[in-house]
Amino acid sequence: MERHGSTIPDVGNARLSLGDAFDKYRGSFYTLIVLVILMIIWNLAANKIQNTLLLPYFSETAMEFITAWGDPVIMFNLGLTLKRVFTGFLYAFIIGVPLGLLMGYSATAMQSLAPLMNSIRQVPIMAWVPLSIIWFGLGDGPTVFLIAMSAVFPLAINTIAGVEGIDSNYYNAARSMGASRRDLVRDIVVPGAMPNILTGCRLAMGAGWMSVICAEFIATSAGFGFLMVEAQVRLETAQLYALMVMSGLVGYAIDKVFVAFERKMTSWRFKDGFVGS
Amino acid sequence: MALLEVKDIRKTFTQKRKPPHIVLENLSFSVERGQYVSLLGPSGCGKTTLLTMLGGFMSADTGQIYLAGKKVEGPGPDRGFVFQNYALFPWMTVQENILYSLKVQNFNKREREKRLQELLDISHLHGSENKYPIQLSGGMQQRVAVVRALASRPEILLLDEPLGAIDFQMRELLQEELAALVEEAQTTVVMVTHDVNESVYLSDRVIVMSANKGRIIKDMYIDLPRPRSRQSQAFKEYVSELTELVRQAFREGGSYRQADIPARDRGVDNNFVASYNRMHSRYTNVANGRSRAVK
Ligand SMILES: Nc1ncnc2c1ncn2[C@@H]1O[C@H](COP(=O)(O)OP(=O)(O)O)[C@@H](O)[C@H]1O
Ligand SMILES: [Mg+2]
Repeated sequence: MERHGSTIPDVGNARLSLGDAFDKYRGSFYTLIVLVILMIIWNLAANKIQNTLLLPYFSETAMEFITAWGDPVIMFNLGLTLKRVFTGFLYAFIIGVPLGLLMGYSATAMQSLAPLMNSIRQVPIMAWVPLSIIWFGLGDGPTVFLIAMSAVFPLAINTIAGVEGIDSNYYNAARSMGASRRDLVRDIVVPGAMPNILTGCRLAMGAGWMSVICAEFIATSAGFGFLMVEAQVRLETAQLYALMVMSGLVGYAIDKVFVAFERKMTSWRFKDGFVGS
Repeated sequence: MALLEVKDIRKTFTQKRKPPHIVLENLSFSVERGQYVSLLGPSGCGKTTLLTMLGGFMSADTGQIYLAGKKVEGPGPDRGFVFQNYALFPWMTVQENILYSLKVQNFNKREREKRLQELLDISHLHGSENKYPIQLSGGMQQRVAVVRALASRPEILLLDEPLGAIDFQMRELLQEELAALVEEAQTTVVMVTHDVNESVYLSDRVIVMSANKGRIIKDMYIDLPRPRSRQSQAFKEYVSELTELVRQAFREGGSYRQADIPARDRGVDNNFVASYNRMHSRYTNVANGRSRAVK
């Protein structure tokens, strides 16, 4: 019988074989090599520049990085920032997903809302900063608003694409089996758009995490972004580097969590295709 | 009165900046309970359009369709529809797919469980009930699609090119599976196909539609014992007679369709089969892309 799905028969490839255990960690091993090379270049450059204000040694930065994880002030501010991100994301989700479902499902909603949405979307996120300060004052308000603002569009747009991509025969099939409009939304529209909604979540979270740091430079006197400004003002460049690496890693970890969630929520997409007779 | 009555159907598609395209005109036929009827015809002759109207997903310009004396006015569970691409819900397991019609019609748990066992029996899908469609072979997907359509005991089963997406080597095997499945379910079937061999193998009766407004150019009973042998002389005679009729149906399409035919196929009448198949796949795609569900 024919093969279905993405299984491709393994025609022994010409890769160097270093045993099964190694194969499993091949990716991490390569990443490690790249990091080591970067570290060497970093130290060579630092040696040449000889100015820790511009470029501290790698070891110095690494030390800062390690101590940062035990620093209660840094951890408190990181927690604060994370809380803002999740709050903003939650608002974006509550608005963006239903809006996307509506616009994807109803041509009327699409025609009436799309021009508005597409023009608001063009306003650079940082251009909202002054207005958000006027509206919410300083502190959590403007940052949460900015996160929600940058997260809502990826969510809505991906949800729309998800609904529009649903095969019209799924609707027809469900209707011919007696499904009501409510059944269609619950059993076809939502699960059919789910893969895109989850992609939207990942993109929205990324956008939120990026914009929160910027927002905290300006609109607040606490949070991870604020710590970076502080480090810069105190000329502690090594700490600034460490904080930047940290923000990258935290963003990466959040994304990993979302990927795991995606796999769990839409496990049907990740099953192996049919193989065999 | 026959189970299915199709009376004087007319269907026109109008598109911007194009003259209206009359796909079906004055189309009438009826189907008796228990019959297996094939609608055979070249691509673009309106078979899917007709079946879509039988399903209630689209309405005719004029004319009526009656099923068991009741006028067809929308989709409903009295008709089981099997789509060309099966349209199995990929996010539901085999079991959830099969039982979907009972779920939305609020059958209780015991009834659902009982029906599931019956359907798994006739489709030989025991052991696969918790798999997802992506994990099934083409043949298994087809069986899921058929029993899903049968689940709430429809009056009639409507099949749109149920084997259209299956490659040539598998087709005959799956035709046998389909024949056995329908035999066990003891249901009335209207099947659309462009494959002559398939129509002779499966049907009690073959209706040949012309590319010119879907005119019925032949209504032929296949008087062969089952299970059928493709090797028998009588089988081959039916096939060659119907092949000739399909060619005629294709030629009747006339010149108004020229614009729809890919440039490379124009005037390539000598390679009839190749251009026919190519057109077929093309039209199927076009039609599927256009037919958005009425929401
Ligand atoms: N929604 C539509 N809008 C415009 N033309 C259509 C539409 N659906 C089908 N057609 C046209 O109607 C004709 C019959 O199509 P179809 O019923 O899909 O043929 P078949 O199933 O016999 O191949 C084709 O020429 C096709 O291009
Ligand atoms: Mg068709």
